[in-house]
Amino acid sequence: MKSRISFVLLGVAMFIPGVSLLAHHSPSAIFDMKKKISLKGAVTKVDWVNPHIVVYMDAKGDDGNVENWKFESNPPRWFTKVGVARADFAAAIGQTVTVEIVKALDGSKYGYLEKIAFPNGNLISLEEGQKEEIHP
Amino acid sequence: MTLYFGTRVIVLATAALLPASLAYSQQKPADRAKAKTVVSPGNVHRAADGHPDLSGTWTFGIDLPHGDLVKVVDGKVTRSHYDQSARHHASDEVPGALPWDKAPSYKPEFEEKVKHLAANESKVDPVFYCDKPGTPRIGSPRKIVQLPKETILLYEDISGDTFRIIPTDGRPHRATANPSAYGDAIGHWEKDTFVVESANFLDDTWFGENGYMHSDKMRVIERLWLTGDNNLVYQATVEDPVVLTKPWTNFARVIPPSNDPIEESPTCKEDDAHRLQNLDHHLQR
Repeated sequence: MKSRISFVLLGVAMFIPGVSLLAHHSPSAIFDMKKKISLKGAVTKVDWVNPHIVVYMDAKGDDGNVENWKFESNPPRWFTKVGVARADFAAAIGQTVTVEIVKALDGSKYGYLEKIAFPNGNLISLEEGQKEEIHP
Repeated sequence: MTLYFGTRVIVLATAALLPASLAYSQQKPADRAKAKTVVSPGNVHRAADGHPDLSGTWTFGIDLPHGDLVKVVDGKVTRSHYDQSARHHASDEVPGALPWDKAPSYKPEFEEKVKHLAANESKVDPVFYCDKPGTPRIGSPRKIVQLPKETILLYEDISGDTFRIIPTDGRPHRATANPSAYGDAIGHWEKDTFVVESANFLDDTWFGENGYMHSDKMRVIERLWLTGDNNLVYQATVEDPVVLTKPWTNFARVIPPSNDPIEESPTCKEDDAHRLQNLDHHLQR
């Protein structure tokens, strides 16, 4: 069934800002790097787990039924190091928020969470940072 | 893993001329000590017994995403960037560091296996599935507690909270210890360098990125010392006469002290592997 969820193609991105060194797989192994989408819905749960935090969100589909989305994002240790705690995400539980994600290539309601915007103007956003020399 | 063509020729020629037991050049402790024993400058922190005091909390040294985080709270915008210098190769030469190689040199019969593991890393790397990285892949410790007869290393790893207790009272390796991911370790001082020798490993960890598999005969020598300005230096050498043609020494890492307290690692639950659509991967540690 065609979804009427607010679906905005935000642009072409060759990589997700902030996740190009995410532990283990490359984001392009799971996510469609060519498009970001915006979704509006209510966060229902935040799992502060390794190797990625997991955020669950309910959003209405075009038939008015609730669709259950699941997002992963950066590792919890990364968020802690840059000043974001679980409580910052948990504050979105029960609120209607807008998120930006890249969708999973398998077509499921799964994505990589890059940005979450709260109704009061607060924001958590992964941005492209300075690249560093890496050795194994 | 890629071997330079010239290196491969040498390896093949050596393997053809020598028995396997002679083709591997073991690095003797005395040679290591003679080659690069470090005498720290006089201003390093020292314990009561006169050795440099490595105790303290040290900067987190596991690869994490390099991006920035922008946070807006009540109209106030902050942008944060995570310092990964403790994980990377120091920009300047590190005094006391051993010469290092970019990649280990595998015996020809293991090259294809390593190449296959590296290519399929996202599906076969144990760390991908929350397993222990083992020694020395776990890297430098987050916290060191140096006591007169033992030194305790504490880690903050994605796979869980790891500790290693390193006896320094002269005892040998335990004869009855079970093989493990981090091995059985003993430590001693070579002047101002703390040397940790570990053996008795399981053979199912990798000692580094790119499919660096090893046998259960692997030995790991980790060297830790303080720079003149009291940064910690960590450098590891891997010996494995079963799969390598010679010991492999990685680059030295300079790890600044940290005020960031060591934290309990959240549970590791890898649950996106079934979504992999290709073998894209990148460096992790």
